[in-house]
Amino acid sequence: MTDTSTIGQGVTLTATGQQGAFGGELLTVNFGPHHPSTHGVLRLIVDLDGEQVRRLTPVIGYLHTGIEKQAEALRWQQAVVVTDRHDYLSPPFNNLSYALAVEKLLGVEVPPRAQALRVIMCELTRISSHLVWLGTSGIELGASTMLMYCFRERDTILNMNEEISGFRMHTSYIRPGGVMADATPRFLEMLDTFIRRMPGYVDEYEALLTMNPIFRSRTIGIGRLSAENAKVLGATGPMLRGSGVPWDLRKSMPYSGYENYDFQVATSDMCDCYGRYLVRIKEMRESVKILRQALDRLPDGPVNIDDRKVLPPPREELETSMEAVIHHFKLFTEGYSVPAGDAYAAVESGRGENGTYVVSDGTHKPRRVKFRSASFVNLQPLERLAMNHYVADLVAIIGSADTVLGDVDR
Amino acid sequence: MIADNLITDRGVTAGDDWITVDATGVRAALGGLRDQGYRLLVFLTCVDHLNDLSRPQWPGRYELVYQLRNMETREQLRVRVFPDGDPPRVESVHDLFGPANWDERETYDMFGVVFEGHPDLTRILMPDDWVGHPLRRDYPVGGEPVEFSEEHEMWLTPPPTA
Repeated sequence: MTDTSTIGQGVTLTATGQQGAFGGELLTVNFGPHHPSTHGVLRLIVDLDGEQVRRLTPVIGYLHTGIEKQAEALRWQQAVVVTDRHDYLSPPFNNLSYALAVEKLLGVEVPPRAQALRVIMCELTRISSHLVWLGTSGIELGASTMLMYCFRERDTILNMNEEISGFRMHTSYIRPGGVMADATPRFLEMLDTFIRRMPGYVDEYEALLTMNPIFRSRTIGIGRLSAENAKVLGATGPMLRGSGVPWDLRKSMPYSGYENYDFQVATSDMCDCYGRYLVRIKEMRESVKILRQALDRLPDGPVNIDDRKVLPPPREELETSMEAVIHHFKLFTEGYSVPAGDAYAAVESGRGENGTYVVSDGTHKPRRVKFRSASFVNLQPLERLAMNHYVADLVAIIGSADTVLGDVDR
Repeated sequence: MIADNLITDRGVTAGDDWITVDATGVRAALGGLRDQGYRLLVFLTCVDHLNDLSRPQWPGRYELVYQLRNMETREQLRVRVFPDGDPPRVESVHDLFGPANWDERETYDMFGVVFEGHPDLTRILMPDDWVGHPLRRDYPVGGEPVEFSEEHEMWLTPPPTA
């Protein structure tokens, strides 16, 4: 058995012929990369003693698409599109962290209406991302009905995405300098209906799972992570809050006007898979509260900064103003330059801290774009969580970490 | 604050505090900062300043960036290090910060920065037999041959420049 007491111990390859505690040899099993419960293409090399995990080596990189390299070859405004695609279940968070970092370098602040629309999109996406997690985790733990319920509501959110941005999943809605377009009246109507119905739906999920004896026995006491270990290992999001640490960037280091909303940080002292489940359910309820406040107090005004060097002029101006045509042409042929320097901006996504570190050399393309993804960091303690658990529990633990492999590999 | 002789430069860029430390003093500096309360390594990455005309005063082509956070006071600090040599070498901090293990492997994979003392410095995202370090600025975009493609022949030679 490996010594897991030291942090940062690198994973090593299996020594064959090792004796297990039950008298037999350790058996090395390849788990994935195409296993349905790995949420993408995650490969785990697992050493089993009987059916218990004695060593676990995650092998990642199967979804590596070189997004950071691609972003360097694109202009600042074009790179928004690739940010959508690393954590493909929550594009607005990625857009927002990129936009905040670029705005930091440009030294601009977006108008209040744009901030509120950003918050609305982020909270909707938090709910939809948790719904995908709840549905797929339910299936893995034997509650196959969950997926049907969860995808019903997720589809409503995707319809709203389509209404506001024209695209169901990779919205590219949040951009440096503001948002793509103002919310349509139909979107606000859909949002209002959704906010009124969603708490009842969350009650339905809870009725199915929270007191369900099978679900409880599959998750309580499984994958324990103490608060101290979670902090040391750099875990963020529900992994950290499920261990009782009230750290949420929306409260701890507010951005995009989150300090104006009244909501609670969901935590649980259970420190196990069930605790993380409770945190995510509570977060969905809190997100609905934030959405209600944002919708009721949605300020009027522009949704973009008034800077023709960064954002294109309105369509109407192009017919009357020569200057507008010049700005439009310049913006779409060479883009805008960002002052040299570097900036880091982080947002609290459904999975934890999703940040973007951008470096500018003063030209119209980024010198470096680094995505700090929560999944990449949250996947590292997997060996520690799964140690001495059964293979079936490993599935529950991978599910409770809620990693998106596109986010891990980028 | 950590010993002043370790810090060679300091400043604020776009509202973010940063310090530059000497490449030989990375472990001492980061260990000192961790003991002061900067216990979370948010990320670790590298920036390739090949032909970067915007900051000629900065030493070295590779810049390592360690973003630290104090979760009690909510302060953030960025530590810059300019390692020497080709491949650049720097001491590993995998035992000081939990997330550093995979971050260092990724930086090695993408930039070829060697972290001395890392227990398992292997490629993490690219295949083990990959040649080159993709995020270096002199590594071309689109130079990868596309298998099973009708244009396979024309892709066999990578373009001369990125």
